[in-house]
Amino acid sequence: MITSLGSLGTVKSTQAGTGLEAIERLAIEPVDLMVLDLNMPDMHGMEVINFVRRHQSYRDIPIVVLTTKGEEATRTQALAAGANHYLTKPFDPRQLADVVGSLLKAS
Amino acid sequence: MDKQNPDNAGEFFDQFLDDYYAECDEHLVLIRRALVMLEHEVDAPVDRSLLDNLFRSFHTLKGISGMVGLTAAEQLAHHLESYLRELREGTLGLSEAGFEALVAGVSLLENVINARRNDQPIPSIAEVTERLQAVPTVSPSEPSAPERDPIAKRWQLEFTPTADLAARGVNVNSVRARLQEIGELLQAKPIVKGAGEIAFQFVLETDAGQTTLKNLEADGLVFEPLEEDAAAHKPQQPLATIAPSTVVRVDLDRLDELMRIIGELVISRTRLEDQLTELKRVTPAGVWRPLQETSLGIARQLRDLRESVMRVRMVQIGEIFERMTFVVRDLARENGKKIIVQLSGGETEIDKFLVERMMDPLMHLVRNAVSHGLETAAEREAQGKRGEGLLSLSATTAGERIVIKIADDGRGIDRHLVLERANASGLSQGRSGIDDAELLDLICSPGLSTRDAADRESGRGVGMDVVKKAIEELGGHISLETKLGEGTTFTIELPLTLAIAEALIVSVNGQRFAVPQSSVREVFEVESASTKVLENNEIISYRGKVLPLLRLARVFEMNYQRGERFHVLVIGEESNAVGLAVDRILGQREIVVRAIKDPLAQSKGIAGATELGDQRVVLILDIGALRQLAVTSRH
Amino acid sequence: MEPFILFELAGTTYGVRSRFVQQIEMIEDVASVPNAHAAVEGVVLIRGQVIPALNLRTRFGFERVDRDLRSRLVVINAGDRVVGLIVDTAREFIKVPTESIEPPPEALTGLSGKYLEGIATIKERMILVLNLDAVLDLDYQVGPQISDTTTELMMDGR
Repeated sequence: MITSLGSLGTVKSTQAGTGLEAIERLAIEPVDLMVLDLNMPDMHGMEVINFVRRHQSYRDIPIVVLTTKGEEATRTQALAAGANHYLTKPFDPRQLADVVGSLLKAS
Repeated sequence: MDKQNPDNAGEFFDQFLDDYYAECDEHLVLIRRALVMLEHEVDAPVDRSLLDNLFRSFHTLKGISGMVGLTAAEQLAHHLESYLRELREGTLGLSEAGFEALVAGVSLLENVINARRNDQPIPSIAEVTERLQAVPTVSPSEPSAPERDPIAKRWQLEFTPTADLAARGVNVNSVRARLQEIGELLQAKPIVKGAGEIAFQFVLETDAGQTTLKNLEADGLVFEPLEEDAAAHKPQQPLATIAPSTVVRVDLDRLDELMRIIGELVISRTRLEDQLTELKRVTPAGVWRPLQETSLGIARQLRDLRESVMRVRMVQIGEIFERMTFVVRDLARENGKKIIVQLSGGETEIDKFLVERMMDPLMHLVRNAVSHGLETAAEREAQGKRGEGLLSLSATTAGERIVIKIADDGRGIDRHLVLERANASGLSQGRSGIDDAELLDLICSPGLSTRDAADRESGRGVGMDVVKKAIEELGGHISLETKLGEGTTFTIELPLTLAIAEALIVSVNGQRFAVPQSSVREVFEVESASTKVLENNEIISYRGKVLPLLRLARVFEMNYQRGERFHVLVIGEESNAVGLAVDRILGQREIVVRAIKDPLAQSKGIAGATELGDQRVVLILDIGALRQLAVTSRH
Repeated sequence: MEPFILFELAGTTYGVRSRFVQQIEMIEDVASVPNAHAAVEGVVLIRGQVIPALNLRTRFGFERVDRDLRSRLVVINAGDRVVGLIVDTAREFIKVPTESIEPPPEALTGLSGKYLEGIATIKERMILVLNLDAVLDLDYQVGPQISDTTTELMMDGR
């Protein structure tokens, strides 16, 4: 998972190792933005996006998706399903910081 | 058809059987994969999730085999499942004997299913079953694990996460782990409850009693029995698996149909583009431009759609690799060698068409490595090498190509020996030294190529010459690196994008041509006598209208003889349809489209070339260009 | 010294540098390409690639003959073009000292242009070294421009 998030300074981050955990986080604490790796052991990232976007309260949470190089098709799908942005692994942690920053500012 | 169940004859059952075989294949792939990983855990702590996956697969195979009445498979799967269950509960880990028994069981299971598939006598499962049952899974001092009550019940549980629970360490993961300890988790998914709360729903199959489940209530779990009848005597439904949860099995035919429709869409859009161009003259720019943009947008989306469908045809090369691992194990054992197989890049995807064509060549290379390349443990140690030989299979993608490497750290190829043989048979002119590339050419010459016993037995004509040819026919390339005493590496490069199309093969004046199926609306036969001439063009009546004919023989300036009857392929849209006249339609084939790159051989009306398996080149017609020719020839 | 591949065409020996020759094959199915240049006999499938088969006899203006068991397809790989040349026979590999390649005599240069790079004489044998670019460039006419005198001149050298 992403440990570099810690360096974002004013942003508090919490980690989830699986899709179900990620959704659980939404339930128990206020979440302003999600960074999602599409390949997770229990639930594919796409399903997480679909679930989140269908839910009243979480419909507008910005979602940043991480894809591996060459997965253009999934990237398009993720965006179509409602993700706001994507980054291709491997990526520069500062890129992620920038994206997160601008999405949070906008929302 | 179905000799063992005469009462179940009929189309429905056949389709049922097809589904059964397809599902078995899928599970066998998963099982092989798990076994490959499990091999590393013999006599070591075992990864529970691997055991769970295997258990699930055997359980499913047991159920579906029961449904189609293949008792041998059902029972074998049952024993495999029982052994897995004992492994999970027992105190002894996976032993070598246990692993071997598993492998033997899986091989036999595959054979039983294939026997039924090919209407052959079903092999006996008695011996393997005994082996499985004989493997100890608990230390002799402990009482053996209690026989599980085969009748298990299903429960639906709901877990609502809260911050308090999480603070206590109770979260969806911990809940899931606990449930898996007391039974089998069939389903886990997030749901939204009435007030918009998020909760998680689980379906658990367990023989644990209500009291055990009641203990979970303290952790925010609510449960209730699931309606389904879970009695063991009824054949069990194939179980839902937790991951991956988004897998759909698709017939290749349907994919081809999709591709065909997409082909038609592409043609329609091109027509739209033509019409838009005409419209440009009489439409104000402000109105026309958005139309044009939409049209371009559609073109882009069509391209994406086409690529997406092509991606669906992709399978992971890991499937072949894993199959090879088993071949290597058997061969290694037969030859008394110890071999470690290293796989990497198994998740690299490759078109299913390529997989089918490459299976035999890759197997041949692997068998060669094991039989001839790698030495016995004794020989190796005498050389100061590690006793176990290393065979590594790897796949990576480099741009538009996939690179597969088969490497061994064995003897290497003795180029002087090869050169001697080549000189002796006149294949080379008495040269004294050759580099790797030339060495490869030599060992791939039909004269020098060796077919090993297994190839001969199976009647396969695979030798290095066939391997090289197969690879080159796919537009690929094979190269060799070898060092005496150190090992050999074969590197195969294949293009990932293979243009494949459905085509009608037609004959014109004795020459064969391929016509992309997607361009053809309809085909019918016509009597020469029924054609008429209108303003210097041949026409025939078609669906109450007039269809202009385009004689391919004339377009290609061949002398032609009119037979009594000939075939017409209708191309183009309703309003400007044209009938392509050919002598005969020979058939329909899936073809690999090869471009004609050199200008010397390019010609209007020809889009490319292909080969129908008999090494003879067949030209592919460019229907669009031919239609244009038809139009211009009319004026 | 450079390695060359030699082939025969209408009684004359031609040479091409080995490094441009990808392979030499017997001629199997040639699919005729409609409306192609007269010298293009058709296309063949070599190593998964569809390449043109150029009939050198036609190209150079010699009379066409039926192919026989000795006819060969010399597959040339030059630049990024892969083209097959149909010749009468092709069997020899020799090493030619670079110095022995003389520029073609004036008489030839004028008439047949630049399709010859030069002429090498090895042990009284005359080998015409081809300029592949010119041969493969079909805008460039070759053939009927060779006069009978020139042909005789060439034949005499043998």
